[in-house]
Amino acid sequence: MRDAQLAPPRFHVAFAALGLAYLAIFSWVFFREQGAEWRAAQARFRKLEATVKNPHQLAQSARAAGVRQVWLPDLGRVDRCTTCHLGVDDPAFASAPAPFRSHPGTWLATHPVERYGCTVCHDGQGPATDYAHAGHQPGPGVERAMRPLETIEANCGACHRSLEPKDAPRLAEGRRLVVESGCVACHDIPGFETVSFRGPALDSLGYKVRPEWLEAWLKDPKSTLANSRMGNFRLSPAEISSLRALLLSQKTLAPLEPSGVDWKKADTEKGRALFGELRCVSCHAVNGRGGTMGPELTRIGDKVRRDWLFGYLKDPHREQPETAMLQYRLTDTEVRDLTAFLLDEYRTPGGEAEGAPAPYQDAHAVAEGRSVFVKRGCYGCHQLAGVRETGKIGPSLAGVADRDPEQLPYGGKAVRRTADNYIFLKVQQPDALGAPSLMPTFSFTPAQAATITMALASLRKADLPASRVVKKAPPPPYRPEGRFGELVVRYRCLSCHRIGGSGGDLSTVPLDRIGSQLQHDYLVDYLLNPGAVRVSVEARMPVFHMLKEEAKTIADHAAEVFLDDELDRYDAHFTAAEAGRGEQHYRQLGCVGCHQLNLQGGYVGPDLTNTGKRLRPGWIAAWLMAPNRYKPGTLQPDYGLSAADARALTAYLSGLGSSRNATARAAIARGGARP
Amino acid sequence: MTARHVAAALVVLAAAGCRRQAAAPLADPSLEALRAEDQAAGLTYAQGQGKHLFDHYCATCHGDEGKGDGQNASNLNPPVPDLTTSKSLADPAYVRRVIAEGSAAVGRSPLSPPWGRSLSPQEIEYLTLYCQRLAVRK
Repeated sequence: MRDAQLAPPRFHVAFAALGLAYLAIFSWVFFREQGAEWRAAQARFRKLEATVKNPHQLAQSARAAGVRQVWLPDLGRVDRCTTCHLGVDDPAFASAPAPFRSHPGTWLATHPVERYGCTVCHDGQGPATDYAHAGHQPGPGVERAMRPLETIEANCGACHRSLEPKDAPRLAEGRRLVVESGCVACHDIPGFETVSFRGPALDSLGYKVRPEWLEAWLKDPKSTLANSRMGNFRLSPAEISSLRALLLSQKTLAPLEPSGVDWKKADTEKGRALFGELRCVSCHAVNGRGGTMGPELTRIGDKVRRDWLFGYLKDPHREQPETAMLQYRLTDTEVRDLTAFLLDEYRTPGGEAEGAPAPYQDAHAVAEGRSVFVKRGCYGCHQLAGVRETGKIGPSLAGVADRDPEQLPYGGKAVRRTADNYIFLKVQQPDALGAPSLMPTFSFTPAQAATITMALASLRKADLPASRVVKKAPPPPYRPEGRFGELVVRYRCLSCHRIGGSGGDLSTVPLDRIGSQLQHDYLVDYLLNPGAVRVSVEARMPVFHMLKEEAKTIADHAAEVFLDDELDRYDAHFTAAEAGRGEQHYRQLGCVGCHQLNLQGGYVGPDLTNTGKRLRPGWIAAWLMAPNRYKPGTLQPDYGLSAADARALTAYLSGLGSSRNATARAAIARGGARP
Repeated sequence: MTARHVAAALVVLAAAGCRRQAAAPLADPSLEALRAEDQAAGLTYAQGQGKHLFDHYCATCHGDEGKGDGQNASNLNPPVPDLTTSKSLADPAYVRRVIAEGSAAVGRSPLSPPWGRSLSPQEIEYLTLYCQRLAVRK
């Protein structure tokens, strides 16, 4: 027993060595901790704090000591950045040196550190407590480095899912490009589910285009039309020729017969006048200027056949039910003149005359073309008889930002392995990453590709808890019925205007409460002859050549349905004293800077000369008091008017352009104005 | 020291040199594209944000470059001042105040309206930075 209790001498040595080793490790850890970067930083901060704050503030401020962290269990994040960045949410440190400087701007007011931490926006490695491991710079051992300021908006996008995020212009631009370039036609992209992208139906292309144009287009759309939305599919000559055969053989619907139209009598000058009057440039650019909703018309004479254009201008919805273009109410003679003008004015000078449509019968080439059409996913954008859509041809982009950067291809380029760089290279040159790609080339500028990269780099793998996501619910589809519904479809009101949140955004005037905003008779007149409400705005409402009965139907519907009780309840019995005070306000606030009144003033806002005939008083008052509520981002300033001041201005403005006195006018506004 | 030693030393040095070259910083094309854009405009990120706002809210009167030659400028009396030569822009608090409360708040004409209820403090900050940049650029 005694032998067993007495350990042999060599164990004594081992225990002693172990003890020493333990002591060594312990003291190494102890001194390492004592000498940690963050302790030194906190010591420096305390010195700085003593110079920045007075003793009273110092006594109140929580003294920094020890590792500080923000724990966000719902995001699975621990951020210890504030261990060193001690002044980040204290404005007293606005001009302090790094790392103590307070956060620039007012971002922390909306994103307090306690609730968001730091890495949600900045990336980097939150749990680290020293400069290198926190990932301030990319380097060895850093899996996720901090984002530089230039690309930080990609992280805004992880939570802010709206297609037009505020305060993040590059992200907004990237998302706009994703929508406009039709990425959604081939890829499922989370957040873009409500976006659809369609090119024209090709069912009757054989009647529409000239063969030489089609060939050039298939070869490279952008060389034909610089702002074409279609990318370059890098088709081989054989593919182009078979697609050409297929597409020219498409003759599902013959164009409307221009019967009784004498082309010899076509008057291009009348056509030119119509082109201006119909406000075609609101949607179509010519020579680089104009809207972008429809295709540019600069070379339309090289592209389409005369009979097709005639039929299309007469009824665009017959062949292209999904087009955004409205159907004007024009006579055959007017359509003829417009057609002749377009084909004569917008073509390559000295170009060849239109040949007869060739009967394409080469069944082999057509079948070949059909297989190219399917293989390249043309059906993603274009309808074609006999081709069924078989889902999106490209992969889903969900979680693309979180794909392992080491596994992604970079085409042998010496770039840093990041999802950003992969996306950037892929967007710019889809076929240059080593593997053959079906994706077309869009010829984005580097800056465009980089903003698109930001839009896509916000597509993270793990979805956020719903409480973190900032997004408006998509609007329910709006399909009006009856006679009014027919007119909305014919004149394509929703291509430019919004009702109930759905529709286009070319016009900044949503129609939801238009009946409470405008006087009924003014609306009828405006629909019949839309002038310029704001002369400085280029995109204008077209002159539809609408029938009076149609204009009345629309105005009646607006006065019955598109109402806002809050505006209609307004008491419009104004006194002369109120109107007088309103006139003073008009001068004092400087309204004349932007508005015309009796041929005086600026051209930014609407001309107010006839306001009394144009607007309803409840709307004037509501608009003056809270313009941003009705139109976010409007140029109408919010003067913070009291209800009494807004009422005085309303009294004054309601009297403009009306010959009757204020009381009689009020009676009209209250009841008489509606039919 | 033989020739073999020298050769071995050279090989080691060359290898070390190669390694250093391989570790040269890699390109970051997506970031560089954005930096090139900022550089071409001569603006920092925050100033660039301010420019977006300026173009939307201010340029119709103040002009794209802030020279007081916007398309609406000729309709205004008193005329629009040239921001690029204005001395008042040196003081950010003053600029902030004119943007937020309007020119009337500093005893001038009411033609430059108050934007304090339309813009967030962050946006006013951006605009202030950009306006000051306009004055520096001349």
